[in-house]
Amino acid sequence: MEMVLEADRLGKRYGRTWALRDCSLHLPAGRIAALVGPNGAGKSTLLHLAVGLLKPDEGAVRVFGRSPYGDTDGLADIGFVAQDTPLYRDFTAAELVIAGGKLNRRWDAALARTRLAQLGIPPDKPVGKLSGGQRAQVALALALAKQPRLLLLDEPVASLDPLARREFLQSLMGSVADSGTTVLLSSHLLADLERVCDYLIVLNAAQVQLTGSVDDLVAAHRQLVGPRHDGGPIGGVAHVVRASHTDRQSTLLVRTDGPVTDPGWTVRDVSLEDVVLAYLADGVAQTSHSEWGVAA
Amino acid sequence: MIWLTWRQHRKLAFYTLLGFLVLAAVLVPIGLSMRHTFADLGLAGCLRPSELSDAAAQTCDVGLRRFSDRYDSLNLVAVLLITLPVLVGLFWGAPLVAREVEQGTHRFVWTQGIGRTRWALVKFGLVGGAVVLLAVGYGLGMSWWVEPLTRAAHEGRLGVIVFDLQGIVPIGYTLFAVALGIFAGTVFKRMLPAMGITLAGYIGVRAAVEMLARPHYQPAKTQTFPIEGGGIPEGDRGNWVLAVGIRDADGTMVAENTRIQCPPGGKGPDGRACGADLGLGPGAYNWELYQPADRFWLFQSIETGIFVALAALLLYLAVRRVRRIA
Repeated sequence: MEMVLEADRLGKRYGRTWALRDCSLHLPAGRIAALVGPNGAGKSTLLHLAVGLLKPDEGAVRVFGRSPYGDTDGLADIGFVAQDTPLYRDFTAAELVIAGGKLNRRWDAALARTRLAQLGIPPDKPVGKLSGGQRAQVALALALAKQPRLLLLDEPVASLDPLARREFLQSLMGSVADSGTTVLLSSHLLADLERVCDYLIVLNAAQVQLTGSVDDLVAAHRQLVGPRHDGGPIGGVAHVVRASHTDRQSTLLVRTDGPVTDPGWTVRDVSLEDVVLAYLADGVAQTSHSEWGVAA
Repeated sequence: MIWLTWRQHRKLAFYTLLGFLVLAAVLVPIGLSMRHTFADLGLAGCLRPSELSDAAAQTCDVGLRRFSDRYDSLNLVAVLLITLPVLVGLFWGAPLVAREVEQGTHRFVWTQGIGRTRWALVKFGLVGGAVVLLAVGYGLGMSWWVEPLTRAAHEGRLGVIVFDLQGIVPIGYTLFAVALGIFAGTVFKRMLPAMGITLAGYIGVRAAVEMLARPHYQPAKTQTFPIEGGGIPEGDRGNWVLAVGIRDADGTMVAENTRIQCPPGGKGPDGRACGADLGLGPGAYNWELYQPADRFWLFQSIETGIFVALAALLLYLAVRRVRRIA
């Protein structure tokens, strides 16, 4: 399978804090991947490393087999929309399309204009005066006009209202559906992306917690409810992701490696959100206890 | 890239040009009137005093005094005018990178197909070229404007302030100010701190070069002349005098920062020999350390060279820093 994005023990440090560490992942071609994690988990750092804005401090990242930092030729294949969709606010959308043409060797201005016309974006109004949703659409149109093989979107819908979110994601899906473009889009809310993505990367506290195709991930996890569990091995369970206990009963979210046959456990299917939340709940509590200088 | 640079900065370019036109509209009439007065008072012939008869020298003195009385206040205007290069640095240099980073647009423009090194080179090159044109215009205009003032003043073109205003040094200053602004922007990544650092750095470097380096571009010359009669030797006009004093016959400095001149065979106030009341023995003479007026263009070239070199260094560092901003 062709890998679009590969990270191998990738790390990036700001001062003494690691924004991303020991991050290894693969993104196969043609996927719509969601990069999910709480604020400050390292999502933007990972995207900036992938588009070559940042230089890794540790490990390596490769996009289409090339190291993106300082690789101008490789930029042509990557479309990038940064957080808050920064654009020159005094430029009109039409001027931005012209600017893109001057800054790129491969540029489909007609595609951008057609998109913007369909979305009803005024061509001669400074983009600073457009609504957030319209501005995000302009940024997306500019990224698509590069005809990228990989499209990276950093929190594209975070500042949009629910209706604009849906419209944005719909138009994104519509445009990449037949081009085969691989898409990686980040959000701190899984709910935003759940409907559109078929691949998932969960980042938390500078580390990759979970990565894989959505179907595989959902199929590989189960919720077990049964009598209070003491931590011993359970047949068919690879490991316990998260456990909560009452006096008499335990609820476990587990990764399975076979059918759970023990009749003591009630086995339930889980949703993608259950899985993600179980992985995210891990790790957060300890750090904040040590930061506050109190015992956990 | 050229189109983008023009589109981004055309407004600023327009206002800069407008500012310069307004300034020209104010200064050109003043310059013309200065030149008329200079000619009307017949001052052009006064600059070689030894060729003048006593009567003519008298007229010249009166004329020069009248000219100074009328236009001396313009020296203050000249002081204000030397701030123009740093203003260009503040408004053209400092925002160039800092504004992009502050508004996040660097992540848009540096991820397009041309790469940020090329972005930086083209942008710095175009803005640098534009400000050089501006500085050439400013230098020429100022040379013309300030000429009557310098000719009427004793110190001439090498004097502080007027030296900084004319010739080719404004090119060096302006380039340096812009480069400093760009570099500060790559370090602080916000416009206001970058502008503040540019202002402080510009003043600091300029003052240091002016006070510490410029007097030593070439070994200074000394000249001596008697305290009695004669007066300042021929050709002294326009020299940049660094230090004066009175030395005794054996060469020891008796009085610093002063000079005296008695008429030939003259006596001091109480009838004693010239300078005796100051404790000067016979054979004491005036001593002067100076840079000759004909070194003007040499000094201009050296000073311009220093600032252009500093600007080049800062731009190189700025390009390197641009590669590390995310």
